[in-house]
Amino acid sequence: MSAPALELSGLKKSFGKAEIIRGIDLSIGKAERHAIIGPNGAGKSTLFNLITARFPPTAGTVKLHGEDLAGLQPFQINRKGLSRSFQITNIFPAMTVFENVRCALLWAQGYRYSFWHLVNRKRELTEGAEAILEQINLLPRRNLPAGTLSYAEQRALEIGITIAGGANVIMLDEPTAGMSHSETDYITDLIMKVTEGKTLVMVEHDMGVVFNLADRISVLVYGEIIATGTPEAVRADPKVQEAYLGAALEAEH
Amino acid sequence: MSQTDLPDPARPKEQITTDPSRASERLRAGGLTLTIGPWVIAAVLLAILPSIFTSNAALTIMNQMWITVVFALAYNMLLGQGGMLSFGHAVYAGVGGFACMHIMNASDFFASFPLPVLPIFGGLFGMGLALIVGSFSTRNAGTVFAMISLGVGELIAACSVIIVAFFGGEEGISGDRTYAMPFFGNEFLQQIDVYYLTSFWVLVSAVLMYLWSRTPVGRMANAVRDNPERAEFLGYSARWVRFFSFVASGFFAGIAGGLFAINYEILTEENLNTASSGVILLVTFLGGVGLFFRPIIGAIVFTLVQTVLSLQTELWAFYAGTLFVATVMFFPGGLAGLMMMHVPVFKLGKARLLILPYLKTLLPAAIGTLALCALVEMTFHVRHAASGDHEMTLFWTTFDSHTALPWIVAIAIAVVGLGIARMTAPALRDAWNEANTAGGAA
Repeated sequence: MSAPALELSGLKKSFGKAEIIRGIDLSIGKAERHAIIGPNGAGKSTLFNLITARFPPTAGTVKLHGEDLAGLQPFQINRKGLSRSFQITNIFPAMTVFENVRCALLWAQGYRYSFWHLVNRKRELTEGAEAILEQINLLPRRNLPAGTLSYAEQRALEIGITIAGGANVIMLDEPTAGMSHSETDYITDLIMKVTEGKTLVMVEHDMGVVFNLADRISVLVYGEIIATGTPEAVRADPKVQEAYLGAALEAEH
Repeated sequence: MSQTDLPDPARPKEQITTDPSRASERLRAGGLTLTIGPWVIAAVLLAILPSIFTSNAALTIMNQMWITVVFALAYNMLLGQGGMLSFGHAVYAGVGGFACMHIMNASDFFASFPLPVLPIFGGLFGMGLALIVGSFSTRNAGTVFAMISLGVGELIAACSVIIVAFFGGEEGISGDRTYAMPFFGNEFLQQIDVYYLTSFWVLVSAVLMYLWSRTPVGRMANAVRDNPERAEFLGYSARWVRFFSFVASGFFAGIAGGLFAINYEILTEENLNTASSGVILLVTFLGGVGLFFRPIIGAIVFTLVQTVLSLQTELWAFYAGTLFVATVMFFPGGLAGLMMMHVPVFKLGKARLLILPYLKTLLPAAIGTLALCALVEMTFHVRHAASGDHEMTLFWTTFDSHTALPWIVAIAIAVVGLGIARMTAPALRDAWNEANTAGGAA
């Protein structure tokens, strides 16, 4: 049996005396779509930041395809095939949409810190970036500065940048935050399309999106996972209903 | 418009190929001719300028200009492309220049290669120093980087009086460029020979620096400048990207230093100190940070102010400072950004609409400003001329600076000129808006 795509064991994080993540064990299989839900302040984004080495964990390990990520920098983790998006749109606003995606392709296509290639002369770079733009439906916006796109388009671009490098583990932090209904549907379809065959880990508030997309769901409350399972199982779990889901589902309907 | 800096000059060219369907094909077809055009024009200009401005003084000014251009472009690799604000970049040019002076003085070695090769050594020494300093200073951008650059700059400037063997103490190091191996029989005895050498290097350096901005590491320099965190999550270490930009910038700064050594045949502590570092920052900002070619404008304008204006008045630094402050305050895109603001107007074919309003506002404003300058000059004369020397000449007029009449005239012109400019400014604003609106009768 091969190692799971992502494996967390005993993961803890404290900021001073405040324990934000209080021991998380979670295993996410290959090509699984996994959603992490939980009330505000549960530590979802912190968990993301621990996995991607934005913060160092206080204790515990993160393994990507069985390999311990301890001590690695974000860029090194990215090179191992894990890519993430951010809760607050995190793109290169002054650069064009096309350049945003092209930058995301550079390392993956092996250019490293090259100063002996000219990016404009590389057909596979241009075509690769255009293929991504086509996937995220931003080809007509190709030459606009990314900062001038609408919010939903910027979120789509962020997803495009995240997947462009060909990472096989994709982590999306609230991809539909602050979106209208139609925009949410659009982004959900987009996520479905672009993460085909890849491992997806996402934090999401919108229950509609979560139950549509996820194969399995983990519920995070006060730094601990209180339940993990299929959407149906999680929905039926009394602990979950008590802690979070009941209230959220009521608000939905 | 000028604030939303487009990070690279190739964009407008790429936009010409904006066909959403298959832009990649077209890019390859048209890219080369579109990129070569401006360089050919630049080369032709460099070649014919000495036939227009023939005097030795003009050649000296142009040499200085081109050296400043190379240095400013190198500096912009850091500040504009990489987002690193350095307060001590003169040391890389300076050390490159000092190294070249020592090579000039090592007569056997110097005689073994032609002079035009010398700036490469300057570049290598500048790069060597940048390798050392960059290894620890590029860990962070922002304030930390700025402070380290300032500290290292001061440190090396201070070394000039300590390590006398290399920096020559207070007298500096001087040499003779003519000891090099003759280059096709040319010994670079005359200013015009040096001009062509400098022109060659300014063109080569500019092309190389431009190409650098089109390479993967050059593109990522922009990405790291805009959003270092995002760049890290794309597989790039922000620190390494900054390091490579820094080293490349050090190389081209060293080339500028080498050209300086060839031109002036002397280097002193002045080439290393904070004042020189400040000047290049000022030049770059004056032209405009960001877009590749902008600092060139800054270098040209500043050198003109520094050379031509300094012949006219002792207060040139005061005017240069005022120009700098005004540019930074009112035109964050720099002088080049100010020019670029007019591109849409020309594209809309409405430039004609602006001519009259510009004349109505800018002419009185210019006259008023000159009158203000006259007041400054008169004050300076009254305070600093030798006692008993009451006679001064300003704008081809000789008068007694201790009488009331010239003051009244200058104040009146200033008030009237600036007053008219103020009154006509709303009309100019309307014309500007009109000229920037598509459609309507042109």
